[in-house]
Amino acid sequence: MRTPHLFYRSKMALTQVSSNKCADGFQKVFEHDSTELKCKMKFAVYLPPKAETGKCPVMYWLSGLTCTEQNFITKAGSQLAAAEHGIIIVAPDTSPRGCGIEGEDESWDFGTGAGFYVNATQDPWKTNYRMYSYITEELPKLINANFPTDPDRISVSGHSMGGHGALICALKNPGKYKAVSAFAPICNPMQCPWGQKAFSGYLGSDRSTWEAYDATVLAASYSGPQLDILIDQGRDDQFLSASQLLPDNLIAVCSEKKIPVVFRLQPGYDHSYFFIYSFINDHIKHHAKYLNA
Amino acid sequence: FGVRTRNRLQGKVAEMENFAGHLEEIFLTVEENFGRREQHLEQHYNDVLQTLSQRYEDRAAGLEEEKKNKLEALYRQLLACGQALDASKELIETAQEIYRSQDKRLFLKVREFAKEETDLTLSTPLEFNTPLADLSDVKTLMDSINVVPAPSAPVINPQMPNSATQTSLRVCWSLFSDDSVEYYELYYRPVHDKVCAWFTVTKVKVKETHCKVTDLLPNAQYELWVTATNTTGISPASEKALYMTVPSPPVIKQRECTSCPEAALIRWESGNTNPIDSYTVELSEVETDGTESHLTESIVAVPTCQCLIQLQPGRCYVISVRAVNVGGPSNRSEVITVSTTGTFFHLLGETAHPCLSISEDGFTMFYGDEELPISAMAFDANAFTRCVAVLGDLIPVRGKHYWEVEVDDGTEFRIGVSYEDTERSSYLGANNTSWCMRHILTPTRHKYEFLHKGWSPDLRITVNPVRIGVALDYDKGTLSFFNVDLKQHLHTFHCHFQNYVHPCFGLDNPGALTVHNGIAAPE
Repeated sequence: MRTPHLFYRSKMALTQVSSNKCADGFQKVFEHDSTELKCKMKFAVYLPPKAETGKCPVMYWLSGLTCTEQNFITKAGSQLAAAEHGIIIVAPDTSPRGCGIEGEDESWDFGTGAGFYVNATQDPWKTNYRMYSYITEELPKLINANFPTDPDRISVSGHSMGGHGALICALKNPGKYKAVSAFAPICNPMQCPWGQKAFSGYLGSDRSTWEAYDATVLAASYSGPQLDILIDQGRDDQFLSASQLLPDNLIAVCSEKKIPVVFRLQPGYDHSYFFIYSFINDHIKHHAKYLNA
Repeated sequence: FGVRTRNRLQGKVAEMENFAGHLEEIFLTVEENFGRREQHLEQHYNDVLQTLSQRYEDRAAGLEEEKKNKLEALYRQLLACGQALDASKELIETAQEIYRSQDKRLFLKVREFAKEETDLTLSTPLEFNTPLADLSDVKTLMDSINVVPAPSAPVINPQMPNSATQTSLRVCWSLFSDDSVEYYELYYRPVHDKVCAWFTVTKVKVKETHCKVTDLLPNAQYELWVTATNTTGISPASEKALYMTVPSPPVIKQRECTSCPEAALIRWESGNTNPIDSYTVELSEVETDGTESHLTESIVAVPTCQCLIQLQPGRCYVISVRAVNVGGPSNRSEVITVSTTGTFFHLLGETAHPCLSISEDGFTMFYGDEELPISAMAFDANAFTRCVAVLGDLIPVRGKHYWEVEVDDGTEFRIGVSYEDTERSSYLGANNTSWCMRHILTPTRHKYEFLHKGWSPDLRITVNPVRIGVALDYDKGTLSFFNVDLKQHLHTFHCHFQNYVHPCFGLDNPGALTVHNGIAAPE
């Protein structure tokens, strides 16, 4: 692998944190100064062997609550399939870190590790907590500038809060993402405790502003190129029974709006990365179908 | 000018040389013919002389014999006369003696001696017994010197390849020598295992040494023999030869042919009532402009009425069949056009549940509203008895297959694959011999199941597919379902199919399904 193009503008500069040969390619972690989040951010990038000779499509993976860039790359077992299909996988962190905001580390489902992929409008979060812009704009630019990517071929997937992130990215940007899938996504955050806590904190009490980040609401008004959404959900997921995920609400809207979804309720599986590991190949294949079309 | 003259002269010389050569040839032929004729005559005269000398010897020997017999007879008569004379003299002496005696009564007794009389007629006839000389055979021999001999038996040739048709035979024969023949008579009759009285011998009179016999039965064996006749007489019959007419062309069973991108399975009917030796399948590729290319391939010695043919994907072929026996190949059957764009199959009508009717074109199946009473249902032995279903006749090739099914989202259906012997009294997907996608209408929603052994994963599909793609990959061991309109993958079964599978289609409530065939599989 060539060394990253460190001679780009300084704000685009990347620092390699780690690099490990993996599935014939490389699993790397980089650090950079984010303009959007105004802090140092780490992200993981898997470069398949094909990236040594040509441009590859990119799948963005959005992790769930409490995760860093590490969880997915160490637990999901995505690299073999990514190598097979020639897909670069970019897995960013889940929130700004070390911004010194009061209360940012107080709870596991708000603040650090819980950015919810929104652009906060409320103090004290609005300066740093701009994960939506980070993952849809800054990070893709950075990736395209530093890696052999095909900027027109990107897709998005994620788990839990990241599944919510993936769905809203696709629904808010018709045509931008060639494919979308999710594992146990928070489908209707306005209606669940996690979402209500996060949205009221980041977006304020006006619920109408929440709608812009709610997959179920966004699906109801979606208009754009045909989507093909693959969702896997563990039937024994404690957060499903705790009504944090609410997939039925999304399915009802998609059925009504004729947005194609295949939703698979996997018996016996919980909310963990063991569940993700079990079905990640199906998802990468799903992305490859559209990314390599 | 000189050159021209020389050339002309040279030409003339060549011409004359040619003519001289020709004359020489004629001379030789004439000489040869006369030589042969001479030899022939000499042979005949020798025959006549031999016959005459034989006759002379026979007659001379006869006369000698007669002379001997006559002399012997006369001699015996002479001896007898001498003896009679001696006896008479003795008798006279005895009589004189008695006469001189005293007793005259004794003399009276002597009179009785004198009663014996001597036969004085000749014991042999005076004439020679001259038998009539029968010279008719000599006459025939003499006559035959001037007439041609009757021909010898002609030699009938064995059947030549490609000389027969469905209803005719071309028969050839020849002669050993240069007999002169006025005409031939060809006799023929069909040969049957069981000799039937009404198959009488037919006779044809021909001038040539060949004959085309017509109005025959196809794929039948005939016994033929030939005689040659000239003014002198008729030859003995030739040996009997066996000829065979070619079969009628087979009939391709269009509804029972099936194909995929790599192969086609062609099935046909013999077209003949009696057995056929083998079949030849001929295929040629149809170019994109519609013209049929030259014959690209033929598969010979196919023993049964079906043939699996390896083909190239994405082409178009026309395929025909010929029936072959020792007489040769039949005419081509009607052709079948096979496109290797996708998988193509028909429904196996005999597997259809009695409540399932199939459209004229064979690709749409209906489950009608009206309930048939069980008693009115005629069950084929191979038909589904509970699940209103039917199987498709998929080509037995372990490659990739793809077909599409058009459904109505108000119809409850089951589509997928099953082993050929899947239980007919069971529902599709309820056993371990079938795999299917099932659509169920619940009061609140459309439910989709992907059933095998009665179990389905729990999944939701938000857009009801109305055209379902079914992709079977034997090598990968997968059976996948797609929403064709959305190119959406719905489900994949993973199973290494041990046996060949057939597409299966079932309706759980009144409605219709249409199979779309010959479609290229999506990537």
